[in-house]
Amino acid sequence: MQRRSFLRGIGMAAAASAVVTPTMVMGAPAPKSANTMNIDDAIKAITGGKKVVKSSKVHLKAPEIAENGAVVPVSVTVDSPMTDSDYIKAIHVFASKNGNVRCADVMLTPANGKAMFAARVKLGTSQDVVALVETSSGEFWSAAQNVKVTIGGCG
Amino acid sequence: MGKRKSLIKVKPKKYKTGDIVKVSFMVMHPMATGTGKDKKTGKLIPAHYVNEVKFLFNGKPFTTMKTWESLSSNPVFTINFKVPGKGELKVVYTDNQGEVNESTKKIKPKG
Repeated sequence: MQRRSFLRGIGMAAAASAVVTPTMVMGAPAPKSANTMNIDDAIKAITGGKKVVKSSKVHLKAPEIAENGAVVPVSVTVDSPMTDSDYIKAIHVFASKNGNVRCADVMLTPANGKAMFAARVKLGTSQDVVALVETSSGEFWSAAQNVKVTIGGCG
Repeated sequence: MGKRKSLIKVKPKKYKTGDIVKVSFMVMHPMATGTGKDKKTGKLIPAHYVNEVKFLFNGKPFTTMKTWESLSSNPVFTINFKVPGKGELKVVYTDNQGEVNESTKKIKPKG
């Protein structure tokens, strides 16, 4: 009896995968747009080929080990005076190995007072979380941190 | 479908004009990626995520965000804000299925 139920389980799993695969293949082309770029292309699309400098002014806070990939708190703080002439224009957050690497683009103004953004992201597997910062003078700074994920959070 | 629950929090609770406060906006949203399957029917759940969040003070936008499905469900967006005086803080969000929603909070600096 046990063997029978075991075999039935296998059969169902095989059937399920057989059914699922074509639908996934069918579904794939539709969302394949700018959102399925890899991390390098995504960063290039934003910077327009400009040089990105790793800067210690960008503080990326993320846990080193995340038990649950569905909820990973990430915060980005940038040292900047945030005056009208010198401020942080945008903070972009990426998850380097997610299906869609882009998490959020935050457009800031001097009215923020301090350049900070915090949110919770989903991570599919262990990967780097990257923050790309655009200053008002057109420079690009970045910071990255590896996050180990025990249970993936996608799908 | 009823209105989605959303709310704005300002920390700390007591602040003066010119102080930098933390503003969090949270919304009860599924943030479906489009790859997950319904456990009962086995069908793919269509992508459903917040794609734009706008922070406004007295009708003037000061922070805009573009977001994608890589954010967690029931997301919380936190930013800093320098209190310029009395007014109304408004957050408007849009999702990829065309839902538009907003919530407001009165800013009353003391002193």
